Amino acid sequence: GELMDLIRTEGQRMTAAQPSETTVGNMVRRVLKVIREEYGRLHGRSEESDQQESLHKLLTSGGLSEDFRTPYPSLRANVIEAINEMLIELEGTTDNIAMQALEHIHSNEVIMTIGYSRTVEAFLKEAARKRKFQVIVAECAPFCQGHEMAVRLSKENIETTVMSDAAIFAVMSRVNKVIIGTKTILANGALIAVSGTHTLALAAKHHSTPLIVCAPMFKLSPQFPNEEDSFHKFVSPQEVLPFTEGEILAKINVHCPVFDYVPPELITLFISNIGGNAPSYIYRLMSELYHPDDYEL
Amino acid sequence: LTLPRCFSDLIETFRAQLRDDPDVASAVAAIRALLGFLKQDRGETIQGLRNSLRDAIDTLSRVDSSVAVSSGGELFLRFISLTSLEYSDYSKCKEIMIERGEIFLTKVSLSRNKIAKLCHPFIRDGARILTHAYSRVVLRVLEAAVESKKRFSVYVTESQPDEAGQKMAKALRKLNIPVTVILDAAVGYIMEKVDLVLVGAEGVVESGGIINKIGTNQIAVCAKAQNKPFYVVAESFKFVRLFPLNQQDVPDRFKYKADTLKTGQNLTEEHPWIDYTSPSLITLLFTDLGVLTPSAVSDELIKLYL
Repeated sequence: GELMDLIRTEGQRMTAAQPSETTVGNMVRRVLKVIREEYGRLHGRSEESDQQESLHKLLTSGGLSEDFRTPYPSLRANVIEAINEMLIELEGTTDNIAMQALEHIHSNEVIMTIGYSRTVEAFLKEAARKRKFQVIVAECAPFCQGHEMAVRLSKENIETTVMSDAAIFAVMSRVNKVIIGTKTILANGALIAVSGTHTLALAAKHHSTPLIVCAPMFKLSPQFPNEEDSFHKFVSPQEVLPFTEGEILAKINVHCPVFDYVPPELITLFISNIGGNAPSYIYRLMSELYHPDDYEL
Repeated sequence: LTLPRCFSDLIETFRAQLRDDPDVASAVAAIRALLGFLKQDRGETIQGLRNSLRDAIDTLSRVDSSVAVSSGGELFLRFISLTSLEYSDYSKCKEIMIERGEIFLTKVSLSRNKIAKLCHPFIRDGARILTHAYSRVVLRVLEAAVESKKRFSVYVTESQPDEAGQKMAKALRKLNIPVTVILDAAVGYIMEKVDLVLVGAEGVVESGGIINKIGTNQIAVCAKAQNKPFYVVAESFKFVRLFPLNQQDVPDRFKYKADTLKTGQNLTEEHPWIDYTSPSLITLLFTDLGVLTPSAVSDELIKLYL
């Protein structure tokens, strides 16, 4: 119990420092779940017993809640071992995702992506070893990370084209698949991704082009999109309108949001280190990774 | 049709509960009445118990034909079966059942507060909410939102033929929430002004759709057309094992009030009281098991019944 409280307070401090970095909170929740599991195992409860709320549990459980008071000396060692396993899993996530590349990319396809994502880069590089295809990269203003992505891809001899965000819809009719990375995956299957992704997703939906999201499981966050718009991050509007345009700055408001919200209906498939899943299945993956009591850190 | 004394007691308990506490959900009242029936049952076997409970549930649905009573009854029966599987000695089994039944009832009475806690962060400051007919869960959610110092306004549909909307509006005015009652036909007109739609449910079906007061389907379709989120709040005991594919699939015994069914007249002349809203129109469901997407509902039901 005390251990969990300690971790929880630390977690709250960390997430309060930078709310848009949801992976911090996710990891804290995973650790809490690990602790619960190890405790449960030592406490003698069988693996079967479901930690989640369910109608079944509602009907059959004897008591109302359980506390984590009983001390077990081996708990610490078990928890540390489980955390080490988790670390190994985390390090292998990009490779796991890249391994699935060959099933999804076919020869002579035109793939579109936006901005720069390490996961997508690894994914495309892995596929390029056996297949020939073209990539169109939307530059993703104002930071233009798309340029860096294009440079890296072309080093692997993949035919790459860079275009501006405004041309996304115009080019979409020639694209076979859209593959993107994301910052966070929300509990209803929606995305928080770089600004410009929503436009890309809508264009893809309009042309019935599949939208594939490559993201490791640690980006899955149990939050829902609600008033706590804490995921919005605004940076200096210098990128949009530089300070040299001094005179007009007094008369206009300039915003530079970093992230975009993409609703789950626009997404076709999530490829993560545990395989491919539909957006409607995300709730199930979440119940396996986190415990409901930890959703609110 | 003379009912045995214990059944008429059962009906009396059920009715009394609804009279004394208008806030209680009809399914909870049904389960409480059934628990009382269980306590004074004189049978010696599980089979006998199940049969008499089945009869009891039938009698109750003849009094109140809503989906919630039926789902509450099913759940109670399932609860009995699950408990009886664990203990072979009948009297011990019965004691455990009664004890667990009490715990179940306590948990269930907390469910509305749990839902309110989950749901009120979704109501932004300055939001305009559209709701339909009278739902105690929605009322509780809005109460929680007011307690957390949010300002919002509500549009309520009048909800003919029983004008349940007026009842809702009165309750909301008591909470100092600005309310406007609109015609059922005005939903399409008002939808562009609204930020979100929040309705309760009488039953949640396996596909993730809901059964609710007639008019809900219309509201859901309008909300989808204008891209407004459609939220449903329901307690978990309302999950029912139906899978309607269209409006006709909803059984007649739910669509019409118990008295109408008893008279046996031609049902095509009657107006149904409920309709079915398909899961593709629903954005999220708030239940005491958590915030669920419609696809998660069938998972929950399978976990229970399998």
